[in-house]
Amino acid sequence: MIQTENLTKIYNKGKPNQVQAIVDANITARDGEITVFTGPSGCGKTTLMSMIGLLLSPTMGRVLIDGNNVSDYSEQWKAVFRRENMGYIFQHINLLPNLNAVDNVLMPLLCHNVNVEEHRGPALELLRDLGLGDRSHFKVENLSGGEQQRVSVARALITEPKIIIADEPLTFVDEASAKTIMDHLFKLRDEGKTVLISTHVSNLARLADQTVSIQNGKIF
Amino acid sequence: MSYRYRNLLSYALNCIQRYRTRTIVILVCLTISSGLFASVIILKDGLVREGQLSLKYAPDITVQGVISGRPSYVETRITERIQTIWGVERIVERIWGYGNIGNTLIVIIGVQLENPVTDLDSTYPLESGSFLSAQQSNAVVIGKAVAELLGAKVGDHLSIVSESNQVHQYSVLGVFNSESAIINADTILMSNDDARSFFNIPAGKATDLLVYTEEVNPALYELQVNFVAREISELPNVRVVTKDIIANAQETTYGARSGFFSIVWYLVLISVAVVAFNQTVVVGHESKFEIGLLKALGFSTSDIILIRLVEATVLGLIAGSLGIISGIFNIVVLNAPILRDVMLGWATLYPSFRAPFSIRLQSVLLTYTITVVPVIFTTVVPSWLNATVDPDIAMRGARA
Repeated sequence: MIQTENLTKIYNKGKPNQVQAIVDANITARDGEITVFTGPSGCGKTTLMSMIGLLLSPTMGRVLIDGNNVSDYSEQWKAVFRRENMGYIFQHINLLPNLNAVDNVLMPLLCHNVNVEEHRGPALELLRDLGLGDRSHFKVENLSGGEQQRVSVARALITEPKIIIADEPLTFVDEASAKTIMDHLFKLRDEGKTVLISTHVSNLARLADQTVSIQNGKIF
Repeated sequence: MSYRYRNLLSYALNCIQRYRTRTIVILVCLTISSGLFASVIILKDGLVREGQLSLKYAPDITVQGVISGRPSYVETRITERIQTIWGVERIVERIWGYGNIGNTLIVIIGVQLENPVTDLDSTYPLESGSFLSAQQSNAVVIGKAVAELLGAKVGDHLSIVSESNQVHQYSVLGVFNSESAIINADTILMSNDDARSFFNIPAGKATDLLVYTEEVNPALYELQVNFVAREISELPNVRVVTKDIIANAQETTYGARSGFFSIVWYLVLISVAVVAFNQTVVVGHESKFEIGLLKALGFSTSDIILIRLVEATVLGLIAGSLGIISGIFNIVVLNAPILRDVMLGWATLYPSFRAPFSIRLQSVLLTYTITVVPVIFTTVVPSWLNATVDPDIAMRGARA
């Protein structure tokens, strides 16, 4: 279970261009549920997701995961925590160019003490499940936006994380890809994982177990 | 090695291939820089080695004549006085100087054939023909490179022009091949009597006197030589040169000349550092994004530094190796154009002299150090700075 307490992020604090991206966010995301964050562009969804995912340090407040205050972890331990517990699907996809699809999927395993080659089979299987069986050895820059997003989903799942953070996962994808990705996210929920999704698509919010609405950095 | 470190190592090597443009730019710049450095240091090593070889059979002390502070012939009668100095074992009168064969300037050395002070067979090992003998006058033994330059062989006759423009004829008795390239390149040996006649040096004078000291415990050698040198220097109209002074002069001369090139190299290195840093900045957005992403995926700051360290070290080692190879190629195959003239200084005296080649482990390690350290610095430092910020900030910054 993930809880946030008075989570606040202020960019450029004390400077003329100071921005309060998120103010006093208190939310709870339970295991085995999909929690969807909705709101217009620029309302602070990505900032909130990044703080929960330990990708961004809060200005104030804290994030508790299974009761542990992970905000206080050292950078080293945050890295270990992300490695062992988190899977990210980024709004901007963030795949490494010059690498093919399957090598991008295997990326998170490089910092684990595992033989990466032994995971090539499961990675190819994941790509097949996501409809990319025939594209697994394509360079990612040769894939469409939807295909790239599905590669990014496979990368988030290869380490079988407990928490999946999906920031606008359907932004660049077509209808078929959107359905494939959502089916995977529902499957993960059914497996008891904690799934956080940010979106500005209202019909996606209807499929959520819990919806958190954000406007101007505040939770409603 | 654990799978984790194997994975990080493999990823680092993969980065070298992926950032192809940066890799090529850094490799080219560093290879030029380290190639220049290696050329200078290899040539310097070669010259120092040549100097050491030329000193191998040198006397402990050389006594030259001086009149009004200018070099002159030395009076041979002072040998009697020198012989009385404690520690002196033997004194040899030497006749030597320069002569011309066509446009080629050569060094002519008179050899004391009866009871020679050095082992002539090992100093001037014969490649063909026979050595000089006391019974045969107007004969010479020539260095291998001289023979090649003049196209001379055993049995040929050489016309050598002295300073007084007199032409002297000599028959070639043999060709020697010394360890020292310098000696091979410019030396012609003849008997002391022939040399005295060639240079028209009157009896009772010599070009210089070679003083050999008694064999003592190596720890006392320097003390003994300095004592004898000091005693000889008390005599009028002489200048004393010890083996150590010659060695130091060689080291200083080549050191100063290589120092000049070191400045050039230093300027090149600064340019390379700027290029490398610039490349890191040019690909900075890509690199910053990658670092942010790696951190988001669970890589720690130390993992990222390790990856960049391996990447930079491999690049530096490849560039260093290419630099050393190009340095060797420059010296051995190209005969060190430009460098040779500046480093030798007196190269005009030795038209056929090839740049000497010698390479020490210390020089190899130094070349690798000056190649690897800058590339590590310009690669790892920016990466470390990027790796210490939040992954989200690094990725957003890269997109900005």
